[in-house]
Amino acid sequence: MTTRHKYAKQLFTQKPGGELPSIVVAQTENLQSRFVIQKILDLREQGIALNDIAILFRSSFLSFDLEIELNKADIPFVKFGGFKFIETAHIKDLVAYLRVIENPRDAVAWNRILLLVDGVGPRTAEKVIDDIVARRASAEQDATGTTLPAFWSQFKSYPDKIRSLFATLRDIAPQHLAPADKIQQLLPYYEPIFAKRYDDWNKRKKDLEMFGQIAERYRALGPFLSDLTLEPANESVTDIAPTDADEEKLILSTIHSAKGLEWNSVFVIYALDGRFPSTRAALSEESMEEERRLMYVACTRAKEHLFITYPINIYDRDSGLVLSKPSRFIAGLPDNLLDTWVIDEE
Amino acid sequence: MKTYLLRKNPTDVAPPSTDRKFLIDYKKELNPAQYAAATSVNGPHLIVAGAGTGKTRTITFRVAYLVELGVKPESILLLTFTRRAAQEMLRRATMLLDARCERVAGGTFHSFANMVLRQYAPLLGFQSSFSILDQSDAEDVVNLLRTRLKLDTRERRFPRKQTLFDIFSRVVNTGVPLRDVLTEDYPHFTELLPEIEALMKAYTAYKAGHDLMDYDDLLVHLRTLLRDHERVRDALAERYKYVMVDEYQDTNRVQAEIVWLLGHKYGNVMVVGDDAQAIYAFRGATVQNILEFPEQYPGSTIIKLEENYRSTQPILDLTNEILRRARE
Repeated sequence: MTTRHKYAKQLFTQKPGGELPSIVVAQTENLQSRFVIQKILDLREQGIALNDIAILFRSSFLSFDLEIELNKADIPFVKFGGFKFIETAHIKDLVAYLRVIENPRDAVAWNRILLLVDGVGPRTAEKVIDDIVARRASAEQDATGTTLPAFWSQFKSYPDKIRSLFATLRDIAPQHLAPADKIQQLLPYYEPIFAKRYDDWNKRKKDLEMFGQIAERYRALGPFLSDLTLEPANESVTDIAPTDADEEKLILSTIHSAKGLEWNSVFVIYALDGRFPSTRAALSEESMEEERRLMYVACTRAKEHLFITYPINIYDRDSGLVLSKPSRFIAGLPDNLLDTWVIDEE
Repeated sequence: MKTYLLRKNPTDVAPPSTDRKFLIDYKKELNPAQYAAATSVNGPHLIVAGAGTGKTRTITFRVAYLVELGVKPESILLLTFTRRAAQEMLRRATMLLDARCERVAGGTFHSFANMVLRQYAPLLGFQSSFSILDQSDAEDVVNLLRTRLKLDTRERRFPRKQTLFDIFSRVVNTGVPLRDVLTEDYPHFTELLPEIEALMKAYTAYKAGHDLMDYDDLLVHLRTLLRDHERVRDALAERYKYVMVDEYQDTNRVQAEIVWLLGHKYGNVMVVGDDAQAIYAFRGATVQNILEFPEQYPGSTIIKLEENYRSTQPILDLTNEILRRARE
């Protein structure tokens, strides 16, 4: 096998000019945050929009202090990452109802919606699921392979509450009902459960609406469900702060989420050896090279201004060390590549 | 009498005619390296595209070029990291050339696998209406089975459902045996090998019994389908004569095998990526795919895109140096 470790390359531009990137040392984490904020305001003065400025970091928790300071300074920002729409519990509930219609052997989805029924615990759920799967094996299907409504009507011996679930499923199962219609018919059954289960249901209610809207683009259930699981595109309404469409916001992002993007100005914060690379990455050569590539990805996001910052005197609980050195990927670089700044307070 | 079948020469598929008039002036629109990449047609190609070097633009023009040459748009398969990326490239190609580019098959590995498996799942013992489990669903199943197998006793520490799922995923995506994954990443659980192995088997059986596939399964089942069913492999090779893969540095072993199997007949595989931007090892990706491409596809052409359209030279000087100091 090959022992190639990289394809050597030398990127160049025909664009003239440009200032040197800087490496900025901060005595404390908080000074780092305050430096970043003041610099952002400077850049803003120069006419660079907030959404053309990004703060990048190795791990999500490294921006917490900065987030607090940004809030204090009233600088609006969005942070990339967090929960996706489809991963929210109430949307997963709705998806589960639809999934059992499409695949009546889907025990995972059955389990979810059975447990939503009042008085049903894991044991009952398991019994019911076994029963369903057994009956499913002999169920009659129509030409397209969809289980006939009669299938859903045969669970007469169950308690009322479970029967009412099956009655709902029977009503929304027919193939001629488009996904959006199925959802609309499902909601009267689900909403009381929803309101009981989630304390903040009023905030989540918009999501149910949005789910119906997304469904309207589909004529068949199968593709709708596949797309939902494979391409969870939208973020939940509850996860996004109320926004003006054109309000500009500063970007905070992990480097992984910044892949493929670019901004006029980029800050790489916490370029501190022990945080980036993390102390754990010191374990193998492979993961160390991966960390280096992360630094490379972070720095290549910048078009004009690049600031690499690191705080010193950071205590690392895992190793018991005090971290004070710049990331090894940028340490010891000659002055003609990187300006070194120190921060002084007025 | 024996028949000896001559394989089709790759160049028979779409002979590029030199005197043909193109609607797009590729030479004018692209820099020399981009031009070389966009106008390569047959055989395996590796495009090493540095950050900000117009990778999307190059792929877009290559799609348009193939279509202009007379390649059927439906027979071009473009696999990308996100569906949005594929849509964006095909949208741009459509604007560049015409609506024929909309008919190019584009999507993520997972959406492609889903589409193929909906058609062929019965060959693998699944119903075509199988459900897809997202990560938290999959973890719930693992949890359920852990309880069922009575592995959740309090006397000793047993890995959490997230950890278990992560371990299974690692085994599946990297092809590294369970024993070695435990030794390398979770040495404190190595004594639980028999139990974890039993649980992994139970998880696989449960999914098969209920027509369920998790994200990893989509890829693994597609690979199995292509590897073990020659008829399907040939049918797909006929359907997709030109395979293009974006972000190849972030593919895992299973994905690389899928690409290889799809390209087995015509060998028209173009992968695009930047080894310097491989950052998904924690999800099972391996930079080896892009590094070993020339060995895996003998006779392949390597084209490097190095002219950057994003950053100033001082920024590039710094990033070049960061890279130069990487392991040789």
